[in-house]
Amino acid sequence: MTSDTLSPAEASHAPTARQEAWTRFRAWVFEVPALQVLVVLALAAWLVVTIPAIANPRSVTSILVITSLLALAAMGQTLVVILGGLDLAAPGYILFGAFMAANVAGKLAVPAVVAALITVLVCGGIGALIGWICHRFAVQPLVVTLGTGAALTGATLFLADGDYSSAPPQALRSLASLRGTTFGMPFPPIILIVLLCGVGMWIFLNRTAAGRRFHATGVNFRAARLTRIRTSAVWTLVFAASGALAGIAGIFIASYGSGWSQTIGEPYLFSGLAAVLVGGTIFGSIRGSYTRTLLGALTLTLLSTIIVSNGLSEAQSRIIFGIIILAVVSLYGRERHVRDRF
Amino acid sequence: MNRVLTMFQRWPFAFAFLLALMLLVLNLIVSPSFLSPARLPGTLATLAPFVLVGFASTPSILAGGIDISVGPLATFINCLFVAILIPAGLGDWHLAAPIILAVAAGIGALNGILVAVVRLHPVVATTGMLFLLVGLSLTIAQNPVAAPDNWTEVFAGGIGIVPGALITIGVAGLTWFALRRTAFVSNLLATGESDVSAYGSGVNIKAIRILAYTLGGLFAGIAGIALTALVQSSQSSLASTYALLGLAAAVLGGTSLAGGRGGLLGALFGAVSIYLLQQLLTASGVAPSLIQFAYGAVLVVGVVLGATLLAPRLKRNPS
Repeated sequence: MTSDTLSPAEASHAPTARQEAWTRFRAWVFEVPALQVLVVLALAAWLVVTIPAIANPRSVTSILVITSLLALAAMGQTLVVILGGLDLAAPGYILFGAFMAANVAGKLAVPAVVAALITVLVCGGIGALIGWICHRFAVQPLVVTLGTGAALTGATLFLADGDYSSAPPQALRSLASLRGTTFGMPFPPIILIVLLCGVGMWIFLNRTAAGRRFHATGVNFRAARLTRIRTSAVWTLVFAASGALAGIAGIFIASYGSGWSQTIGEPYLFSGLAAVLVGGTIFGSIRGSYTRTLLGALTLTLLSTIIVSNGLSEAQSRIIFGIIILAVVSLYGRERHVRDRF
Repeated sequence: MNRVLTMFQRWPFAFAFLLALMLLVLNLIVSPSFLSPARLPGTLATLAPFVLVGFASTPSILAGGIDISVGPLATFINCLFVAILIPAGLGDWHLAAPIILAVAAGIGALNGILVAVVRLHPVVATTGMLFLLVGLSLTIAQNPVAAPDNWTEVFAGGIGIVPGALITIGVAGLTWFALRRTAFVSNLLATGESDVSAYGSGVNIKAIRILAYTLGGLFAGIAGIALTALVQSSQSSLASTYALLGLAAAVLGGTSLAGGRGGLLGALFGAVSIYLLQQLLTASGVAPSLIQFAYGAVLVVGVVLGATLLAPRLKRNPS
């Protein structure tokens, strides 16, 4: 790419064909997640070259399942980040979902569908309240979600009453277990579910009026209000969706691990945010999409597989995550200089 | 009633102050020996890391940004001191203290450069830094390492009759007090209120922002010392707890996340309120899970109150 950059002397001329092509190419790179696809392919190639044994169906399935869980947990966060906020309540929702899957559906033998419905209602309701409060009182979602997340975690642990030994019922576990099958095909249904969610989210964000309204609210709140978009409804619904989706993710995470613990949600808060950011979705950005988060989640999972299989520790993968976030966002998400904002 | 409201609006920390006062009275009712001279140094030592992490969060928020990484920075400093500096023979205070403070301020400055020069969104820049710091702390000391006798014990006990924790909090407080006499803090508040106007009035907002994050890093370093004094071992697992507590303390203390309003006094009372709330509920025998619930609820109510009743009605749009 460096050979294409023009020296100052050339840049002073009128735009040449080559320069125009470069500008168009750059716009295209920013428009579609080409870089992310490239990174995923490179990482996959690296993984196969360094550890040829990994190219068997079982390992691939396991990587895809872990990616799916991360992507599912980051789905709501993606929406909130596009809206320009941050949802720190995700660990609370995931914990509640895990509690419903393990203790309510598992131990009390409540049908899994009912447990999932309660999760969606409770987490969605709390999310809706957060969204409404943030919009109505003009407070930052950061603190409100932080507080609600802590409150929800506390309430869930109180309800669980020290019982972390229950496991989700078999029906739920087969959805996310590595040995599960989907319509006879040898991969668990969760991969298909997340893929369908990805397609559905793409259609919603790009091909429906509601999706466009949502993007408009994220990019410029005041402009959106002046075009008579009901921003209050957008905020309420987005935070409700974030809560409900994180709750559902919690059910799957508990099903995958065949159990839960007090801290089951915590790794997914910052890793989920990392997946969103590495995918290239930045706060209030028009280019944000769930497809990018899927790629981000895949990147992170491949990366940590490489790191762990090379004998480095989990801790070192955190360091590399941090560097990757900073590098990707310096490429994509730099803000405008203050002198350009007068 | 209007005068009370005006008072709240003039002093952003008044709400946290009253809350802390009320909780203190309740604490004294539940356990009358709460403020006895024998318990005071211990109580203050437990309180000090809370307060200092709250302090560390404040300058960057005042500058209109946010620093999520100060809590992990404090635990990183704790691990650095216990697991690297002491075994390397650099544990003496005249060697370790400058190194610790320089490293902490350096990491803070790096955050500042990422935000002000590279122009990353503050949440993104400091999340990246959070991952780095958590990873580094875990690499240094995966499991808690016990610390041998060292100079930080002073800050958990006392020097004569002065509780040691007053020194750590006092150093940070005095630094801020001294800075208030300079143009730095006014420029900081101006930058936070509206960076465009500050830039237009000739404030070097790049330098101000970098300095704000550096100051936050410095306070986080002091918080790391106070934390080491308290636990006397390396605790890499406390990172995410402190990451969120610091923010909560600052915001409960009336520091506006939009920038430009608030100060260290607010973070002090905010941290004291959170600490007293935990103490009160623990002393009354409430389950730990419900303490977390109460803490979350107080935070939400405090923020909503702060944003509605207690805020001057200057602007009504979040953007």
